[in-house]
Amino acid sequence: MSEVFIGDYLAEARKALDNQVLQRALADLQNRFGRGTAMAYQNLPEGPDLRLKAHEIRQNAIANLDVLLTTLADNVRKNGGHVFFAGDAKDAVNYCLETAHRHQAKLAVKGKSMVSEEIGLNSTLQENGIEVAETDLGEYIIQLAGERPSHIIAPAIHKTRTDIGQLFSDIIGISYTDDPPSLTRAARKALREKFLAADIGFSGCNIACAETGHIVTVSNEGNIRMSTTMPKVHVAIMGMERVAARLEDHDILLRLLCRGAAAQNMGTYVSYIGGPRQTNQVDGPIEFHLVILDNGRSRILADEEFREMLCCIRCAACLNVCPVYGKIGGHAYGHPYSGPVGAVIMPLFAGINAAKHLCQGETLCGACQDACPVNINIPRMLLALRAKLAEGDLRWNVDPASRPEKLIYQMWSWMIRNRSAYDFFLKMASIGQKILPQSNGMLRRLPPPMSGWTQSRDIPPVANECFIRRWKKGI
Amino acid sequence: MDTSGQQTFISRVRSALGHNSTNRPGSNDLCTGQFTAETGAILDRIKHRSAADRQQLLDRLIEMAAPINLKVTVLKDRVAATTSIVDLIQNKAPEWGDQKKVVMWQHPLLESLNLADALAAQNVPLYVADFEDADAEEVSMNQQRERIRKKVTDAYIGITSADYCMADTASLVMRTRPGQARSVSLVPSIHVAVIHLDQVILDLKELYALLQWNPDVQKEGLTNCMTFISGPSKTADVEATMVHGAHGPREVYVHVISD
Repeated sequence: MSEVFIGDYLAEARKALDNQVLQRALADLQNRFGRGTAMAYQNLPEGPDLRLKAHEIRQNAIANLDVLLTTLADNVRKNGGHVFFAGDAKDAVNYCLETAHRHQAKLAVKGKSMVSEEIGLNSTLQENGIEVAETDLGEYIIQLAGERPSHIIAPAIHKTRTDIGQLFSDIIGISYTDDPPSLTRAARKALREKFLAADIGFSGCNIACAETGHIVTVSNEGNIRMSTTMPKVHVAIMGMERVAARLEDHDILLRLLCRGAAAQNMGTYVSYIGGPRQTNQVDGPIEFHLVILDNGRSRILADEEFREMLCCIRCAACLNVCPVYGKIGGHAYGHPYSGPVGAVIMPLFAGINAAKHLCQGETLCGACQDACPVNINIPRMLLALRAKLAEGDLRWNVDPASRPEKLIYQMWSWMIRNRSAYDFFLKMASIGQKILPQSNGMLRRLPPPMSGWTQSRDIPPVANECFIRRWKKGI
Repeated sequence: MDTSGQQTFISRVRSALGHNSTNRPGSNDLCTGQFTAETGAILDRIKHRSAADRQQLLDRLIEMAAPINLKVTVLKDRVAATTSIVDLIQNKAPEWGDQKKVVMWQHPLLESLNLADALAAQNVPLYVADFEDADAEEVSMNQQRERIRKKVTDAYIGITSADYCMADTASLVMRTRPGQARSVSLVPSIHVAVIHLDQVILDLKELYALLQWNPDVQKEGLTNCMTFISGPSKTADVEATMVHGAHGPREVYVHVISD
C-alpha cells in the first residue's frame, strides 16, 4: 500500500540529462525560485538568521512530539473533529477508505499532499470504485498523464506547455492550445464541476497548531479551500512531525514556509481548520477527520543522528538550489520525495542500501542548508548515510555497499602510514600508468577494481617524482 | 476502548524520544502561549493607534497589495463604498453565465451599505448567505447546504467583510460564523471585502496577540475555520507562467472605509 519506492537512479538521471527541454525547465525554476528565496530571506525584518530561530522551534517541537500530538488530538476532538493515529500507510489508507465508504462517496477531490502520495491513497480509493480528482493544477496535469510528481511544489515542472495542451485536448476534449491562461481556464472549468459534485475532500497539512487544535493548509490556487469547504466530509492527513506547539510559533514558521516554497511573503490562501462546521453555519464539512501518520517516522525520531530531518516542512526550497536536482530532476529519486530532502528521507524510509545512489549522488555543497527555511543540516545527514554505507550498520540493516572498496581503503590507510610502502606504491603507479589510456595529460581509465571511478571522469596521473623528493633537491 | 490508535502511537513516539511519561518538567506549559513584555507592547500599540499610525498602516497595505494584485480602494464613507461596488458590478461581466447575481454575508457593515436597493435598480439579485428557517430541524441541513451552494455558484461576485487585514502581507483575515459562509469569498469569480480602517493591523504577530490575549477576540478563538486571503487565486504550474484565477476568485478587491 505504501507507495514509497526507489527507482533506477542512474537510468532516470541519464534520461533527464539528455532531455534538453527538462534541462531548460529546471534551470529556469532554479534561477527564479532559488534566487527569489535567498532574496526573500535577506529581506526579512529579522534577517536570514530567523531561520536559526525556526530551527530551534522545530527541534523543540520534535523533542516533545508525544506531548504536542496528544494536545493536538485533544483540542481537535474538543472542536468536534475526529482524530486517527495511523502506524503505517495501510492503517491510514484503510481509515480514509472506511470514512469514504461510510458516506457512500463516489467522487473525492484532493488538495496537493505529499503524504497522500507516500501512502498511495489515490490507487486504493480508485481500486475501490471511488473516483479521485487531483485539484492542484500541476497534480491534475500529471494525474491526466498517468505520471508521478517530479517536484514537491511544482509537480509538473517536467511537462511543457505543448505536452499539456496535447494532454488537455486528448483527455478533457478542448481544442488544442498551448497558452497557459487558456489551459488554466480549461482546468478551472473541469475541476469546478468536480468540487461541486464531490462527496469527500482530502488535504494534507502544512503545519498544525497543538495549542488551538487546528491544522494549517497553504495554497495559491484555492483548490485546498475548495476541497475542504465544499464536500460534506473533510479528511486531512499529516505526517506526525508537522505540528507546532503554540500559535505564536506560526508567525515565524508560516513566514519562512512561504518564502522557502515560492519566495512569497504569504501564500494566497492560508486556512486554519479545526473541526467541522457548527450547526448554525451553512457551509463547511459536516465531518472533519485528522489522520496522523507515523509510517517510519518514529524510527527516524529514535535515531538522534537523523532526528533533525523531522524538522522538515516540505517547502522544496532545497530542490530549487541543489546542483544535482537541477540536472537530474525529480524522477531519478524515486517516489515521492526528491532533491536533497529526498536524498535523506528516502533512504530512511525505503532502505539505505536500496537508496544508496540518492545520498551518494548529492555533492555536499551545502546549498540546501543555506536555502532551508528551518536550517536543516542536510549535508551532515548525507555524510552520515554514506558512512553507514561504507561501514555497514546494524540499527538500519545496512550492508557495507562495497566490500572491495572498504578493503582498498583499509589498505590505503595502512600504506600512507608506511613511508616505504607508500614510496613503493608511487613508484609502481608512475611506471604502471604508462600503459593506461591518456588524453590532455589525464588518465582516461583505471584498471579494475578502480575502473568504476573513471567511467564518467578522468584522473590526473601520478607525478614521476614525488614532491618531497623534489623539495629536497631544491625543486 | 481506544479505537483511534492513539495509545500505541504515542507510546511508540515517547519511547523513540527516550521518555517514560508525558508528564515531565515543563511539559504542561509547552502548548500554552506565553504572555511576554513584547506581547504587552503589541497589544498596547494596537489599542493606542493614532490617525497618523493608521494612515501609515494603510500606506503599507497598499504598497504590499500591489505586487500580489490585490486591489485596495480607500473610501471616505459607506455611501462611497456602495457607489464603488455598484460601479464594479456594472463594469464586470459574469464568468459562467449571462445573468449578473451577487451574494453577500449577513454582516452589520454590509447591511448598512443598502446594496439591495442600489442593485434592484440594476435588476441584479442580491443573495444573503444566511441560515434560512433557523428553527427548522436537522433534516433541513442538506437543504441549507444546497441553498448556499446554489447562491455562491450562481453569483459572480461575493461580498464579505473581514475580521482584520494584515498590512505587512496584504492579507484579509476571516473567521467563519453563522451567516458568514466560507464559500462567499471562494466560489464567485470576484471577491469584494469591505472593512473599516481600524481593522487594518500590522502583521501575524499582532493577529496572534489579539487572538490569544484580547478577551473579546479570544472568546471566539480561531473558530473552526480561519482563513487568510492574500490576493486573487493564482497558479504557475504551466511552465512556471503566472496565471490568475486557478480555482478561487480571479480578482480580489478590498474596500477600506476611512471615516
